[in-house]
Amino acid sequence: MTEILRVDQVTKTYGKRGEKQCQALKGVNFAVNSGEFVAIMGASGSGKTTLLNILSTLDKPTTGNVFINHQDNSTLNANQLADFRSKQIGFIFQDFNLLENLTNRENIALPLSLRGISPRKIDPLVDKIATRLGIKEILPKYPAEVSGGQKQRVAAARALVHEPAILLADEPTGALDSKSARELLFTMADLNQNDDITTLMVTHDPFAASFASRILFIKDGKIGEQMLKKGQSRQEFYHLLIDHLDTDE
Amino acid sequence: MIWKLSLTGIKSRFKDYAVLFSGLVVASMIFYMFLTITINPTFIKNDIVAPSNYVRFTFGFGIVLLVIITAIYLVYANSFLLSMRKHDYGMYMMLGAKSTKIGALIFLETLITGILATIVGILLGFGLTAIVSQLLISRLDLTVKHFAVVLPNAVIWTIIFFILIFLFGALKNVRKLTRTPVIELLRDDQKPVAYKRQPVLHWIQGTLGLVLLAVGYFILGLPGGAILFIIPAALVTIVAGSYFTFNAFFSALIGFLLNRRSFSYHGIRIFTLGQLKFRLHDYTRILTVVSLLFALALGAITVGLNFSTLSEQLKGNFYYDTTIISNSPKVMQAENKLTITRQQTFHYKEQGKYLYFNRSEFTNNPVKNVKFYMKNGQPAYKTIDLPTKKLDVPATYANNAFGAMVPNGIAKIIRLVSPEKWAAKTGQKKFVSFVNVKNFDQDYFTILKLQKQQLKENPAYADIYTSSKAGSYQLIKNFSSGFEFMGFFLGFAFLTMLASTLMFKVLSGAASDKVRYQMLFEIGTRVKILRQSIRNEIGVLFLLPGVLGVIDVLFGLRLFKLLLPHPYQNLWIPFTIFIVLYLIYYLLTVKLYEKIVLAHE
Ligand SMILES: Nc1ncnc2c1ncn2[C@@H]1O[C@H](COP(=O)(O)OP(=O)(O)OP(=O)(O)O)[C@@H](O)[C@H]1O
Ligand SMILES: [Mg+2]
Repeated sequence: MTEILRVDQVTKTYGKRGEKQCQALKGVNFAVNSGEFVAIMGASGSGKTTLLNILSTLDKPTTGNVFINHQDNSTLNANQLADFRSKQIGFIFQDFNLLENLTNRENIALPLSLRGISPRKIDPLVDKIATRLGIKEILPKYPAEVSGGQKQRVAAARALVHEPAILLADEPTGALDSKSARELLFTMADLNQNDDITTLMVTHDPFAASFASRILFIKDGKIGEQMLKKGQSRQEFYHLLIDHLDTDE
Repeated sequence: MIWKLSLTGIKSRFKDYAVLFSGLVVASMIFYMFLTITINPTFIKNDIVAPSNYVRFTFGFGIVLLVIITAIYLVYANSFLLSMRKHDYGMYMMLGAKSTKIGALIFLETLITGILATIVGILLGFGLTAIVSQLLISRLDLTVKHFAVVLPNAVIWTIIFFILIFLFGALKNVRKLTRTPVIELLRDDQKPVAYKRQPVLHWIQGTLGLVLLAVGYFILGLPGGAILFIIPAALVTIVAGSYFTFNAFFSALIGFLLNRRSFSYHGIRIFTLGQLKFRLHDYTRILTVVSLLFALALGAITVGLNFSTLSEQLKGNFYYDTTIISNSPKVMQAENKLTITRQQTFHYKEQGKYLYFNRSEFTNNPVKNVKFYMKNGQPAYKTIDLPTKKLDVPATYANNAFGAMVPNGIAKIIRLVSPEKWAAKTGQKKFVSFVNVKNFDQDYFTILKLQKQQLKENPAYADIYTSSKAGSYQLIKNFSSGFEFMGFFLGFAFLTMLASTLMFKVLSGAASDKVRYQMLFEIGTRVKILRQSIRNEIGVLFLLPGVLGVIDVLFGLRLFKLLLPHPYQNLWIPFTIFIVLYLIYYLLTVKLYEKIVLAHE
């Protein structure tokens, strides 16, 4: 198993020196191996979004390093970071994922065309991932014309179409009803298991987290403990997780 | 409390506010200047043949156009104001502010912004009016001692006009906001209009637009007689044609490009095209209006500038530079200042209703004349000798032409007699002397002075004066200077306001576009590429109406063929002004837009 992501002694302090400061991350360490599905759980304000922004290179850590595919992010300049994101990282956000003025097909095609893939190769790649995610029929529609769950699938397709090293998701089910949320999570788990898509998902929903193979708990800016799924079914893992959270309170 | 919120809201967007505010100030400044010059009593009191009358007429015409463009401009500036404050208003409402209270807030905010801008504009307008009126006065050689720059009437009318428009704008803003659900105010993402997928219909409409434009341009080129048909017919076809072209043709074209994957799957092109496709739909009306008004403005400048060719051409219509009929000391003094290259003097005796000339003076010394005739339907001129034999034959060209060159020559009967007979004639002995000078432009003022002096001495000189080279030149020059000046200023004011109207329209959408650029950035688009997309997108929005406006002008100038010798002459001057101004606005828009959409929290 190869290591895809390594987070090394990452801290993040908001606010300039001299002003009122707030340390959101206080030394985070963990690694994610290829093919893993990791969930990060934590209470509100524990630093989840901060961590994800740093992993996705949208923000820089105050100290510490992040390696994706053994590449140290801190050595890259702005343009290289942009290119790095467009190659190595796929995103799914809580909401407003898609460009409303492009059709679903065009939305999914965008990362490929940004990367300079030859136009002839783009549509077949889009078709392939859309078939995989069951959204082939809605490709010609505009995002405003499809349901929330379908939108999130389109977003997933867009995040995955360029075969990134890692898929990052921040509360991907946050804006979905429970049925759509369930469908999306099954899809993500399926992609992880059958297509080896390495996934890191931030959530505070135990149901969503139970789809992961490993759960990291973040508390007060530090990774506290972790839970591993060892052969349990998802339901069993979910109950274990609920028990764990209950005893934690 | 809510007032405090409102103030902090304005503070946080101070830069955008400053752009809006200065735009409004410039509008009221120009408006005041035009109004003051038009209704200024200094001009009104002058006599009727005074050139200032033409100026007032042309400026009055300018005011009408200015009212239209200012109103359009303010509507868009207003919608930009609203788009800036939308989010804040939504916030106050969510915090529990009553919608009536918010309504009052919007109303007052709009009105206060407007009134402040108008007042500042009028104050600056005093300065602008002073400068422009001085330029005008020196340009037209007017003898105006004191030009009233501060005109209470103009101040009042400017304020009334602007307040009316702002009142209207404020009411519109209130209506729009109180009808929008709070959630939509808060969410900046503009709901894209559901794009109707009817490519066939689009192409039909688009083709119709192009056909209508072509018909309009064709009509403009029809021979001049049917002007009453040409103008309304061209107006209708071109307006409708522009509208359809923007509404359907360009979006069909973009849709086509978007679907040509080998073209659109290229970097960020697909996003730029997508933006444009939605934009164009929303922009149809403004782009139509802008292209047409651009054409008007450009046309005004071009025609205005070309009026000066009229006065140049006029000089060629006269053979002699001036006529001298007196040898009083004052006239002699002026005459001595002229650099005379050729002078023909004829003596005559006025007796009852007859003017007796000495025939021998005409031998080998014919009177010259520039004859007007039509050549292939175009006016043409040639220099001829008036045949001496015909000079006293009534109803001949020679007789009429010569009569017009002699004081009382039309009213009385001209007779040419032999030297002996002439010596025997009694009656008042007079002379008429036709003069050519080396350089008319150089001696122009001396000639005018000389002619005025002769008019003072002899009222019968009046006809000669008004139909003289210098007299006609003065009239035409004043007339054309008025036009030139107005065309220039009006065109300038128009271009600026139109360009800023377009700017405000683009910027109004910026707040809602921010999310899209943020997202593109997050999925790994280089900032450089985002900027490029912005430049392209706004560039197309500026280019389309600009190009259409230029084409309108190029065809529209054909209308002026009858009036002006060379309507297409000096085209580069207005076009350069236009391009430079437009470019500045384009760059300013891009900068401001980038500032809004590329700001990272
Ligand atoms: N831009 C910022 N400036 C200053 N402090 C910040 C900033 N962003 C976050 N914080 C602080 O950092 C801490 C962690 O915030 P973060 O957004 O990472 O939490 P989170 O785990 O994502 O919470 P939630 O579940 O509510 O989204 C919080 O105390 C927050 O107040
Ligand atoms: Mg968060």
